[in-house]
Amino acid sequence: GINAEYGKQWYQRRVRGVLNYYTNYYYKSNLRMATEARAVALPVRKVIIHPVVLFNIVDNYERRHDNNKRVIGSLLGRYDKGVVIVTESFAVPHQETEEEVSMDMEYAMRIGELQKKVNTNMYTVGWYSSGIVINEYSSLIHAFYKCQCPTPVHLTIDTVMKDQKMKINTHITLPIGVKNGTEGCIFTPVPYSIHGAEAEQVSLKFFQQLRGAKKTPNFNDQEQIITSCDDMISQINIVLTHIKKVLAGDAPADKELGRQIMEVVQAVPNLDSDTITNMLNSHMQDLLAVEYLTYLTRQQLAVSARLNQIL
Amino acid sequence: SSGINAEYGEYMLEMERSLRQVNIDYQQVGFYQSTYLNTHCDRNFLDSVFDYLEEMNEAIALIYDPLKTKLGNLCIRAFKLSLAAFELYKEDKDFTALMLRDKSLTYQNLFKEIPVVVKNSTLTNVLMCELDKVQDNTSFFTLPTSSYLEKSMQLLLGGLDEINQDLQKLNMHQRAVYKQQTQIMKHAQERKDENSGREKNGLKPLPEEDFTKMFKAPPPVGRLESLLSANRIASHCEMIEEHVKSGIGKLYLADSFMS
Repeated sequence: GINAEYGKQWYQRRVRGVLNYYTNYYYKSNLRMATEARAVALPVRKVIIHPVVLFNIVDNYERRHDNNKRVIGSLLGRYDKGVVIVTESFAVPHQETEEEVSMDMEYAMRIGELQKKVNTNMYTVGWYSSGIVINEYSSLIHAFYKCQCPTPVHLTIDTVMKDQKMKINTHITLPIGVKNGTEGCIFTPVPYSIHGAEAEQVSLKFFQQLRGAKKTPNFNDQEQIITSCDDMISQINIVLTHIKKVLAGDAPADKELGRQIMEVVQAVPNLDSDTITNMLNSHMQDLLAVEYLTYLTRQQLAVSARLNQIL
Repeated sequence: SSGINAEYGEYMLEMERSLRQVNIDYQQVGFYQSTYLNTHCDRNFLDSVFDYLEEMNEAIALIYDPLKTKLGNLCIRAFKLSLAAFELYKEDKDFTALMLRDKSLTYQNLFKEIPVVVKNSTLTNVLMCELDKVQDNTSFFTLPTSSYLEKSMQLLLGGLDEINQDLQKLNMHQRAVYKQQTQIMKHAQERKDENSGREKNGLKPLPEEDFTKMFKAPPPVGRLESLLSANRIASHCEMIEEHVKSGIGKLYLADSFMS
């Protein structure tokens, strides 16, 4: 929403009134600097969110105090050429009533420092809040985060699920208005994508197999192979049916799709069958030899353990 | 390194205090650690597990294997020291062979593995449904590369070397004990001979003391390191076997593609 500021002094007085509990000279001067300095904002074109951040926010929402309707916290990550990558988050205690809002800024800065000790690559890149409402309190909190980083990203996730969906939105603020007159900032949406490291994808896949039940992670590779094979077969079937439809003229032919299918087919290396069987056989023999050796070693260990008992 | 420990302790206290403010469970129930091809099983690890177990009886150690998880299988395991090992470690930091035999402790029941169950709250499950559409495909079908096998084999050889060294130490110890025993026997024999000689000459016999005080017994060899090495080697073997089994399956798959 648009929050019109009626003048620098009014804004400062309002902020000072809100920060009654947690303020001290350092923070006051910082905020004054932020409103005066018009810090150079770095352009943000896209936000990449790691799944672990969303899980943290949902967990934080579930653990909130009963009188809070929403929770806020800091987002940590890094900034890379117009793309903000959010890798972690932590909750910040805050209270919100009809008249005023207050948050523990010292807490936010302290935990930010602690996290930097563990992982020096991460710094504050924005903040999150549960619930999709963006009001004047949001802009106040956003002003605090402007001290921490030039272009903070504001992430909202609808844990109340208004439309039966958990909508996720990311915004940044841009200044609007007339200079030396009525100024303000507007929250504009920024495109985001949810993308994690490989290990995160694997865990996500595992969680999806849970489907609400409890499950033990299964380290048995062979079962994994079977399930992945089934997946692959079904995917190949889908592609085959589509190709058949295109050949029969039922579906329109798409150049992009065709090129991608050709890439997949050409990924299989084209060698004559002799070299292939040779390679595979030698590889197989290596594996079998290693397995025999390890089997031997294990038997030896077991025998020595028994001997230790007797002697 | 005491400086690092102090910093670590400070960090933990700060985090605990801060987590309490946002209603997150702050009671310590153990620790987690990442491992590289199962090499985590060494003395430091044992010390940490022991420390946590002393404070809380139900403390566990979570081991996360990032390499295996990357290959497509979420690998998190929970370990505890077995009861016998815990009591032994309390008494003596370097197990002796006698103690091991008393409690019938082998490398197999040094650590107790506890099954891990993963459970999500309902709201998190809703989030999972939302993220359903955002799935990337993982690179699961990587052929059994030689580098993974090579590293495992190297580690296996290293473990075997360590066990060998331990065995040599044990051998030396046994030789020292044997030497001490023969010395005692020789001395006792000499005394007896002298005594019988003196009796013949009519002198008072010399006392036959306990000669074990004169020749000190060599200190018993600690068996902890060899137990840990054996544990490590066993886990390496298991890993290699699993890898080989799935590798053979993947090779057949690749064969069906290419022929």
